[in-house]
Amino acid sequence: MAVRLFFKEKWFYLLILAFALTVPFLVPGRYFFQIIIMSCLYAMATLSMNLILGYTGQASLAHAGFFGIGAYGVGLMTKAGISFWAALPVSALLAAFIGLLIGLPTLRTRGSYFAIATLCFGVIVSIIAGSWVSLTGGYTGVVGIPKPTPIPFPVIGKLSFNSLTAQYYLVLAFLLLTLFVMHRLVFSLQGLSFMAIRNNEALADAVGINTFATKILSFVIANFFAGLSGGIYASLIGSISPSTASYMLTFNWLVYLLLGGVATLSGPIIGAFAIPVLMENLQFLEEYRLLIFGVLLIVVIIFSPRGLMGVIESVWNKSKAKNPVRKAGGEYAAEGGKPDQAI
Amino acid sequence: MKIKRIVFILSLILMAYLSTGCGGSKQSSEAPKSESQQPAKEVVIGYTGPLSGPAAQYGQDNFNGVDMAVNDINEAGGIDVNGQKYTFKLEKLDDMADPTQAVNNARRLRDQFKTPAIFNPVFTTIAPIMEINKESGNEFLIMAYTSTPAVDDLNNELTVSIPPPFTAYVRGFSDMAWDQGWRNAAMVITLGAYGDEWRKAFKEYWENKLGGKVTADQPANYYTETDFSSQLTAALSTKPDVLVIGGPSAPTGLVIEQARTLGYKGGFILIDQAKMDYIVDDIFGGKTDLMEGAVGVAAVADIPTQMASTFNKKYNEKYKVHNTWEAVLNYCAMKALAQAMVKAGTVEDVKAIRAAFPKVFPLNGDKNPAEYYGINSTGRMLLPGAVQIIKDGKYSEPTSYVYWPKNEDEFNKLKEIMTTPNPSKYMPLENYINR
Amino acid sequence: MDLFLQQILNGIMLGSTYAVVALGLTLVFGILHIPNFAHGHLYMLGGYVTFFFITLLGFGFWTAMISSMIILALIGILVERVVYRPLRDQPHINSFISAIGALMFLETFVVVAWGPQGQRIPNPYPNPVEIGGIILTQQRLLVIIAAIVLIVLLQLFLKKTTPGTTIEAVAQNREGAMLVGINVNRVSSMTFAISTATAAAAASLVAPIFMISPSMGALLGMKAFVIVILGGLGSVPGAIFGGYILGLIEALGGGYISADYKDVFAFGALILILAIRPTGLFGREEVG
Repeated sequence: MAVRLFFKEKWFYLLILAFALTVPFLVPGRYFFQIIIMSCLYAMATLSMNLILGYTGQASLAHAGFFGIGAYGVGLMTKAGISFWAALPVSALLAAFIGLLIGLPTLRTRGSYFAIATLCFGVIVSIIAGSWVSLTGGYTGVVGIPKPTPIPFPVIGKLSFNSLTAQYYLVLAFLLLTLFVMHRLVFSLQGLSFMAIRNNEALADAVGINTFATKILSFVIANFFAGLSGGIYASLIGSISPSTASYMLTFNWLVYLLLGGVATLSGPIIGAFAIPVLMENLQFLEEYRLLIFGVLLIVVIIFSPRGLMGVIESVWNKSKAKNPVRKAGGEYAAEGGKPDQAI
Repeated sequence: MKIKRIVFILSLILMAYLSTGCGGSKQSSEAPKSESQQPAKEVVIGYTGPLSGPAAQYGQDNFNGVDMAVNDINEAGGIDVNGQKYTFKLEKLDDMADPTQAVNNARRLRDQFKTPAIFNPVFTTIAPIMEINKESGNEFLIMAYTSTPAVDDLNNELTVSIPPPFTAYVRGFSDMAWDQGWRNAAMVITLGAYGDEWRKAFKEYWENKLGGKVTADQPANYYTETDFSSQLTAALSTKPDVLVIGGPSAPTGLVIEQARTLGYKGGFILIDQAKMDYIVDDIFGGKTDLMEGAVGVAAVADIPTQMASTFNKKYNEKYKVHNTWEAVLNYCAMKALAQAMVKAGTVEDVKAIRAAFPKVFPLNGDKNPAEYYGINSTGRMLLPGAVQIIKDGKYSEPTSYVYWPKNEDEFNKLKEIMTTPNPSKYMPLENYINR
Repeated sequence: MDLFLQQILNGIMLGSTYAVVALGLTLVFGILHIPNFAHGHLYMLGGYVTFFFITLLGFGFWTAMISSMIILALIGILVERVVYRPLRDQPHINSFISAIGALMFLETFVVVAWGPQGQRIPNPYPNPVEIGGIILTQQRLLVIIAAIVLIVLLQLFLKKTTPGTTIEAVAQNREGAMLVGINVNRVSSMTFAISTATAAAAASLVAPIFMISPSMGALLGMKAFVIVILGGLGSVPGAIFGGYILGLIEALGGGYISADYKDVFAFGALILILAIRPTGLFGREEVG
C-alpha cells in the first residue's frame, strides 16, 4: 500500500513535468526535436480519439477529418490576417460543431455501422478539401501559413514561435491541457457514464444515463481536441493539403492508440511517441516496413488487445501477486474495466 | 501506478532517442577515418520522396536520375573544390508524399549527414520543407522537381526548381494543336493539384488567347478510378477535334484506349504529367496506332541533345525501367549542383552554392541529357519545353518552346548558344520574362 | 439519347463489378458479422494473381482466372483463420483493426512482389461491338454477362445445395446451427473462401479493361461497405441491386454533374440513410 501512495505523491507529477520541460536540453538534434514536437501533436489527437473510441466505445474513424477541419480553419484564417490565438479556438470550435452535426445522425448507429459512417465522413472531408478549390486551394493546399502569432510579454518582450524550443513548449502546453481535461473527464461522474456506455449501452440506458446525449458529448469533446491539434499542426508545419485530413492519419492514430494501450491515459501518449520513433528507426527496411507493421498490428490485437500498457499491467500484476498487497479495485474501474472488455 | 508507468516508458523512449542519436553521430565519426586513407572527402546529398504508396514509381524515377548523376560524377573522380577532392554519397528516405514525414526526413538528412542539398519531387511536401530550410546554421538547398508556378511564387531563396513550369507546356501544346487546325477541345483531365491548374490554364489560353472553344470539361480522378467511359462519353458527345487528357502515364494510356474504343478518331493533348513514350512503350507494347495525333512532352529518346540517346540506353540497362524526364532532369540538376559547388568553392556554404548557380549555365547537351540555359531569380532552372506530335505513326521532330526571354532579340541570342538544330519557338510567359 | 444509353451501359458495367464485390462482402459481413475491411485488398490481390498466371506462367485468360479464384479462396480461408477467427468473440473494432493490419500487409506485399506501378493484362477480347449505335468492347460485354452468371450460380449454391444452406443456417442462428451438428468453423472458412474467390473473379474480369495497381482495392472496398450497408446487411439481393445502382449513379453523376463530388454523393447518402435508419435500409438486427 505504501508503494502505491508513494507514486501518488504530487512531487511525482512535478518530476515528470520537470523532465518534459528539460527535453529541449536533452535532445541531440533538430531531427529528434521535430519528431518530439509532432509526437506531442499526434499524442493530443490520439488522446482525444481515445475518449470516443477507448472510453466511450464508439469507434470514430473520422478523426483525421476533424483534425483537417481544425488545420484548414487555422490555415485559412491566419493567412487572412486573423491572429493565431483567435483562429485556433474558433477552428477547434468549428470542428466540435461539425462533430455535433455529424454525431447527431451517426451516433444513432452502433458498432461497425458507426465506424463505417464516420470513415465515410472522413473521406468526404478530404474530398471537399481537394475539390473546393476556391476556398481550400484544391490539392495544392494552403501554403505559407504563418507561425503562431508572437505573444507580447511585459519586460522580456515578445515570445515568438520561430524556434523549435518555443514550438515545443507550445505543443507541450497544449498536450498537458489535453491530458488535464481528459484526466478530469475520465475520473469524473461523466467519465463513468462514458465507460458505462462502452461496457453495456442497454444497461447504461436502464440506469438512467441519457446514452445518446452522453455519446454526443464525448464525440464533440474528442473532435474539439482533434481540431485543436490540427490547428496547431497547420501553423507549425506551414502548409497543408487534403492529405492532412486523410484517413491514413486516422489509421496511424488508431495504431498508436492500440499499441500504446486503449482506454488508458498514458497509452495514447506512449503510442504516439514510441511508434513514430520505431518507424523512423525502421526506415532502412523501406517498403518492407509496412509489411512487418501489418503483421505486428494483427499479432498485438490478437494477443494483447490492450496494447503495451496491457502487457505492462499484466507483468506488473504478476509481480504484485507475490506481494500480499493487492491492487485496489477502484483504479481498474477507472482504467477501463477488465482487459477483455477493453472496448 | 499510472504515473510510474509514464515515467518508465518516457525514459525508455528517451533512451531510444539517445541511442539513435548516437547511431547518427557514429556514422559521421566514421567518415574522417576513411578520409585518412583516401584523399577524397565525401559530401552527402539527400533525397526524400515517395518510395512507397501510389506515387512510388514517380519517386523512384526521380531518385534514379540523381543516383545516376552521383555515380557518374564519382566515377569521373568526383569534384575539385579549391584543390580538395570530393565525392558524393546519396542518402534516400521515403516520405510517402506525407508532409510530416518529409519534414522529418529533411531534418534527419540535415542533422545526421550535414547534407547541403535535398531533392524532393512533390509540391505538397516541398512547401513544408521550405519552412525549415533557412534556419541559421542549418540551411540546406531544396532541389525541387515541381512544375507548378506556385513554387516560384513562394520565392524561397534556397530553392532550385528543376523542370519547366507547366504553363510553358500549356502554350506549347496549344500552339502545336492549333497548327493542326483543331478548334474544339474537350477536357478529361485528372483531378488533383496539377490537373486543376492545368484545366484552368488551358481553358484560359485556348479560349481567350487563341479563340478556340472548350466544349466539355469532365475531370476524372486518375489516381483512384479505372473506368473513364462515363466522362469520355460525355466529352465525346460534344464532337471535339482534340481531347485534352492526362494524369499519371499509366491511367492516361487507359483513357486513350477507352476513347478509341468509344469510336473517337481525333487528336489528343496529353498534359505534361503523362509521358507519350512511356505510354507507347510500356502500355501499348511499342505500337503508336492508338496514339495517332497525340501532342505531348517529347519522348526521352528524342530529347534534342547529343547525350540523350546514350543516357537513355545506359539508364535502361542500369535501372531496368523506362527512362523518364524526371530521371533526365534530376540528373542534370545534380550535375548543376556539383558544378555550383565547384564555382562557389565550398561544399558547405549553402548560400554561396545557391549564389554560384547562375555561373554553371549553359549546361551543354554533350555532357548532359538535356540542355539548360540559365536560372531565374526565383530559382527555376531554364530549359525549353520540348513538344512532339505523333503523326502517321511516327514521332515528329521535337519543337522547343522557349518561355523566358524578354523579347525576340534575347531569344535570338539564346538560339546561338543552343547546340541543337531542332526547331524552337518563342512563346513568352508573362510571369517569367521578368524573373 | 445515344449518350444516355451509353452512360447507362457504362454504369451497368461498373455496377457489375460493384455487385460482385459487394456480394462477397455481404456474405462475410452480413452473415459472419466480420467487418472484413481488407475485402477490397483481397480483390486487388486476385487481380495480381491472375496477372501472374497470365504473364509469367503463360496461362490463358480463363484458366488464369479460375486458378486465381482457387488461390484466393485458399488465401481467404487463411485470412479468416489467422486474422479474424481469434477475435471472433471480441468487440468488432478489434476485427476492424486486425483488418487494417491485413490490408497494410497485402498492399505492401503486392508492392514488394510486383512493384508500385500499374500493370496491364493483355485484353483477350478487345474488338468493339455495336448495339444500336452504342459501342462497347467484347470484354465489357463479357464483364456484364459473367457477373450475372456468377451471381446466379452463387444464388443457386446458397439456396439449393447443402453447404450453401448451412451458411444460411449459421447466419440465422449460430447456436442452433451448432446444436444440429453444423461445424461453424468450417462454414466460416467456406464463406470466406467463396467471398474472396468472387472478389478475385471480379478483379480478373475487369483487369484487361482497366489496370491493376496496389491501391486499386482501397476505395472499392469502402464502396462495397457502403453498398452492403445500404442494401441491408447480409441481404444478397440488396448487395446486387445496391451494386448496380451505385454503378449507375456514378456513371450518370460523373457524366452529367460533377466528377469531383461523385464519391461525396455515395458516402453522403450512407450517412443520411443511417441517420434515418440506423441499421441500414433493410437492416435486420444490430451488430456490435
